Amino acid sequence: MSGILVVAEHRRGLLADISREAVAAAVEARAAIGGPVRVVVIGDEPARHVDGLNQPGVDEILTVTAGGSEFDAMLYEEAVMAVAAEIQPTLVLVGHSADGMALAPALAVGLGSGFASDVFGFGADEQGIYALRSGFNNKVNMSLRFPAKPVVVLTLRGQTWKPSSDTGSAMVKAFAAVPTPGYSHLEYIEPPASGVDIGKADFIFSIGRGIQDENNVPRFSGLADRIGATLGCSRPVADSGWLPKAHQVGLTGKVAGNCKLYIACGISGAVQHLHGMKHVETIIAVNTDPHAPIFKVASLGVVMDSLAFADALERQLQ
Amino acid sequence: METRELFWGLGASGKLIFYVIGFAALAAFVLGFARNIVKYRRGRPLPAPLDLVAGVRRMVADLATHRGLRRRDRYAGLAHTAIFVGFALLFVGTTTITLEYDILEPLFGVTFWKGNFFLLFGLTLDLAGLALVAGLLLMMVRRVVFALPKLEYLRAYRGETELRPAAKRWKVEDWVFLIALLAIALSGFVQEGVRHAMERPAWGAWEPVGAAIGVLFSATLSQDGIAALRAANWWLHGFAALAFIVALPWWKARHILAVLGSLAARDPLALRRLPRQAEDAPAVGVATVADLSWKDMLDLDACTKCGRCHDACPARASGYPLSPRDLILDLRVHNDAAQGKPQAGVDLIGAVTGSGVIDPETLWSCRTCGACQEICPVGVEHPVKIVQMRRQLVERGELDPLLKTTLDTIANTGNSFGESGRKRAAWTRELDFPVKDIRKETAELLWFVGDYASFDPRNQRVSRTFARLLRAAKQDFALLHEGERTAGNDVRRVGEEGLFESLVEHNLGQMGAAQAFKRIVTTDPHSFNTLKNEYPEFGPTAPVSHYTEVLCELLEAGVLKVKQPLGLRVTFHDPCHLGRLNKRYDAPRRVLELIGCELVEMPRNRDNSFCCGAGGGRIWIPDKPGTSKPSESRVHEAAGLGGIDVFVTCCPKDLTMFEDARKTAGHEKDFVVEDIAELVARAIELESLKLADLPDFAERLTSAVADRVAQAVGARLDAILAARPIALQAAVVPALPVVAEPAAPTISAAADAAAVAAAPAPASPAWQISPVVPVDLPAYEVPPCDGPRILVTVKHVGKLGDEFHFTSDGRGIDSEFFEYQLNEFDDVALEEALQLIEKAGRGEVVVVTVGPAEAEETLRKALAKGAHRGVRVWDDSLVGADPIAVARLLAGVALKEQPSLVIGGVQSSDMANGATGVALARLLGWPRAAVVVATEWDGGERMTVTRELEGGLRHRFSLALPALLTMQTGANTPRYATMRMQKQAKSKPVAEVAAGADDAWASAWVERLAEPPETRATMLNGTPDEVAAQVLQIVREKMGANA
Repeated sequence: MSGILVVAEHRRGLLADISREAVAAAVEARAAIGGPVRVVVIGDEPARHVDGLNQPGVDEILTVTAGGSEFDAMLYEEAVMAVAAEIQPTLVLVGHSADGMALAPALAVGLGSGFASDVFGFGADEQGIYALRSGFNNKVNMSLRFPAKPVVVLTLRGQTWKPSSDTGSAMVKAFAAVPTPGYSHLEYIEPPASGVDIGKADFIFSIGRGIQDENNVPRFSGLADRIGATLGCSRPVADSGWLPKAHQVGLTGKVAGNCKLYIACGISGAVQHLHGMKHVETIIAVNTDPHAPIFKVASLGVVMDSLAFADALERQLQ
Repeated sequence: METRELFWGLGASGKLIFYVIGFAALAAFVLGFARNIVKYRRGRPLPAPLDLVAGVRRMVADLATHRGLRRRDRYAGLAHTAIFVGFALLFVGTTTITLEYDILEPLFGVTFWKGNFFLLFGLTLDLAGLALVAGLLLMMVRRVVFALPKLEYLRAYRGETELRPAAKRWKVEDWVFLIALLAIALSGFVQEGVRHAMERPAWGAWEPVGAAIGVLFSATLSQDGIAALRAANWWLHGFAALAFIVALPWWKARHILAVLGSLAARDPLALRRLPRQAEDAPAVGVATVADLSWKDMLDLDACTKCGRCHDACPARASGYPLSPRDLILDLRVHNDAAQGKPQAGVDLIGAVTGSGVIDPETLWSCRTCGACQEICPVGVEHPVKIVQMRRQLVERGELDPLLKTTLDTIANTGNSFGESGRKRAAWTRELDFPVKDIRKETAELLWFVGDYASFDPRNQRVSRTFARLLRAAKQDFALLHEGERTAGNDVRRVGEEGLFESLVEHNLGQMGAAQAFKRIVTTDPHSFNTLKNEYPEFGPTAPVSHYTEVLCELLEAGVLKVKQPLGLRVTFHDPCHLGRLNKRYDAPRRVLELIGCELVEMPRNRDNSFCCGAGGGRIWIPDKPGTSKPSESRVHEAAGLGGIDVFVTCCPKDLTMFEDARKTAGHEKDFVVEDIAELVARAIELESLKLADLPDFAERLTSAVADRVAQAVGARLDAILAARPIALQAAVVPALPVVAEPAAPTISAAADAAAVAAAPAPASPAWQISPVVPVDLPAYEVPPCDGPRILVTVKHVGKLGDEFHFTSDGRGIDSEFFEYQLNEFDDVALEEALQLIEKAGRGEVVVVTVGPAEAEETLRKALAKGAHRGVRVWDDSLVGADPIAVARLLAGVALKEQPSLVIGGVQSSDMANGATGVALARLLGWPRAAVVVATEWDGGERMTVTRELEGGLRHRFSLALPALLTMQTGANTPRYATMRMQKQAKSKPVAEVAAGADDAWASAWVERLAEPPETRATMLNGTPDEVAAQVLQIVREKMGANA
């Protein structure tokens, strides 16, 4: 047997994006690794997620019916182990998510497989499967091999593969297994409805002293809203009381821990500030000074006055 | 012969009554005095030896000249001088009379209070009385008319709207003190007047005030009336004077006595050189009044509430909850009740809303700028007490989270920037000459650079400028390069004495092992202070100079020649640690003069310089929103001078603080902030070499090269960049050429073995399930445990610096490029375990790590925080072991320990696999929960946990024990382990367990490491609209359609 098995995750009735991305990754790797591509979905009503998983290139969707809809690490492990034993995949793909982290390493131990987490690229050549991941705060990339392993478990970094919006022609098959629950569900607790959370924001539009005047703050705040970004700021802006401290990115503020796109507008890039954002994958810096340190960490730079940039952005958004 | 009768018209019984009352008053005085002495004796010995002769000499000089009282308040100085001189002379006069009347005459029959002496005596005392009255009236006028804020006890800085009861008493006390003294003086004059009115002595003019009042009485009162007044007033005066004697050891009058001690026992190096923590002290720092020294207690009693410190304090002026005066008064009120003994139910340091006397917030507000101590006329040493109490707070772990992180960072990396120690001298690379390494070559000057000057980009420019100046002046100088760590001045002032000591030990060790040098120079006043005043207590050092002194010498000697007098109008800020603390005021001023600057002093200059707010570790503590900053007040002050070109600094922290403040306070157009070295460079035309432009030039050069490279790489780079937002793997794969043949790793024998074993078979190996099992580790001693045992897995993680090289096989990075520390996620896990065990009241926390000998440091840190035992598993083949291999070893330990619970971090901050914990749980066959942010456990067989899911949603559920949890940061605030606790934790047991050489590989094999593509911003060009469109395009690609 061979092929790729994707473990789908879902929460409160919604299929996780990261699982659709994992399916896309599996489909993409099918040629190198070999088919079929199968997806297993576990839950009280697993069938409801079938449509979201049925991308072109998926051969089979296996449903395992469990007692509850909530993720349960031990239950998932038991179910996936049973499926794996049956279909004997070469590669098992799991999202690198809170749930994926609770599951995948256990699968690797149970299967005695090769394992790599937070993978942003993988493939296979004559030496078998390889995976790419990074370490040391993204300062180093590494390629991993899994010699002599008949099966490899990988957890995949989110927002790296693009799921197809087309519908495929996968067969849906109920897999007969009755996994045992390990968790007793109590409740879901919603995050605070309001308030800024720099640490969690994936897109931050940050302003610095370059916006010149407190009266310009609402304008940038509006712009951030319109492009779907969380409004951040540098230390001087927070210190001047132009924005509450919760917006501050940097050493004394918050670290933009989950940020993927960061726009720094009128921020010159004091060490203080860089501390909180220099790790972000994509940074767009807007500053009048072409030698501002911010351009050293930015991926894209714009030498322009912040207010002129705001004017142009507003025009483009109309 | 001229004299007068002492007990006029008083019969024997009257005299007897007076003597009885007099002795009673004296007894009350002695009692009060003795009580204070007993209290002071409860104080701890002085931390530094006292030079009493020098102290008394300085005290006498201070009292005689009243120089301390005249400073910055000449009116009060004058009034106090009048009161002091008047009171002192009257006191001496009264004592003189007592001496003759009660001792010399009855015992020896000697009398001298007559004749010329009597006349001169009368005149002197008359004038003294006049001075006393005048001084008291001046003080009363000052209190009523001037309405000085520093005499106000309402703590507006704390949001008080009503006077606290103690403050109401202080107000009464202040007035009673003035009025009582005035009553004594006036009743004395009345007595003199009635005597003159009745006796009209021929020598009356020798007592001009008495005579004048006598004339007034004669003109207005009958002889009988005068006689009656004389009798009644005699008692009034006598009682008032005796009452004052009774009051002397108490209340405000106490300062008259206490000040003699507080001035004489002053530490000439107070704050400049902080006291060391005594090994045998019952508490770290000051935890209760019993930990205060006797001098501290004298200080409390000496305070007269004059408010000079209240006025001078930069924290108070910026709305922080600290007034040095109120701090001292609160301590005094407490110590008056406690009398030098700890008091049950009262915390010396604690929230004032609870049972605390001094709020931690108050202590953290201090900048240790020394302004309070400098201006205190009675020798109170406020900042030292503050630091002593901070030491206690640090010991308790009650410190700002950011400060905690910074201290950890300093302990791990030797600098507060969290930069790799290797980069300390990186700023020298942009120089066009190499800078000597004192560890290899001798030099005249050892330049101790300090953190800000080494790592902050703006200050690095100054460092380079100073280096070029030294070179231009042909000075032979060297650095410690990577050997230098932060000097620790501010670490000590924060209260982390153990860390300070370890920094001193390191730096002194480096200097001791270095080649010969004659003198140390530093651009940093903070380093200057500690190197000069504190390091010598730990070991031999060389003389220390501030760079302004060196620049001054070089300019005066003509070694640096001014070619272009600058003709700038500048103002200069005295750094606290250079000026006020070390009295170096003149060198920078002389430098400014020599380079042709017109210096306009700010109103607050020299010893009255106003702190930038960064001192005492405050630069590492976030400011409360809404508070103004001392630095902003300072730039306003500079702007107020008008027409200033440059605000000159000579301290790296000042440069940072004032450049920020200039922006936030809106003075960007008024002046620039520059370091004095930069001005000197301009004046000697160092910039004719275009050196000042070098960074810009270098940057342009880099850009140009980057452009070339970009062109050369051309379409390929474009493709990569275009693909980046969508599919990252596309951008990276080309950077990672797949090794074509079976790799020949050289890291270790084990890796070799793995590689051989890994020699990939062309065909897939047969599919099979072969579960991983725990490693069977050799036995080690596991002591029995009463109560639950929690095993905490910790990792000694490496933080990779910005500069590093791969090992020759491309599969690893040498450990020298890392700064090691306790994984922050594991720190949270440890805290959770400690809290669970503390709540249970029994049981133990065992920390386990898989790591080399150096990892013991991390275990010790965990033990210092409260873990009971440690286990370290290692074999040299384990370098680079994969997470499942590590989990196998941890499982081996868990099987021996049989814990109720295993807690680990959700991931390590180095490799971020996020896998070890869950793999371990599976190896043990246990329930598990990952990314946990809260636990609830009553010690039973199940526990409730809350996981943090994407988007901040949380999931709460229960699972059966034994179980494994992986913790997310933010779940709790890990406690701080001081360096002292870490040293003490050395006695806790750590079991060392040998792993097998074949345990290193379980799930993945590192083939090759690579650096991600260089990120120097690609500039977007075009019209604003084109650029905005491009940016929006990227936003949409990156964030999806919802943007």
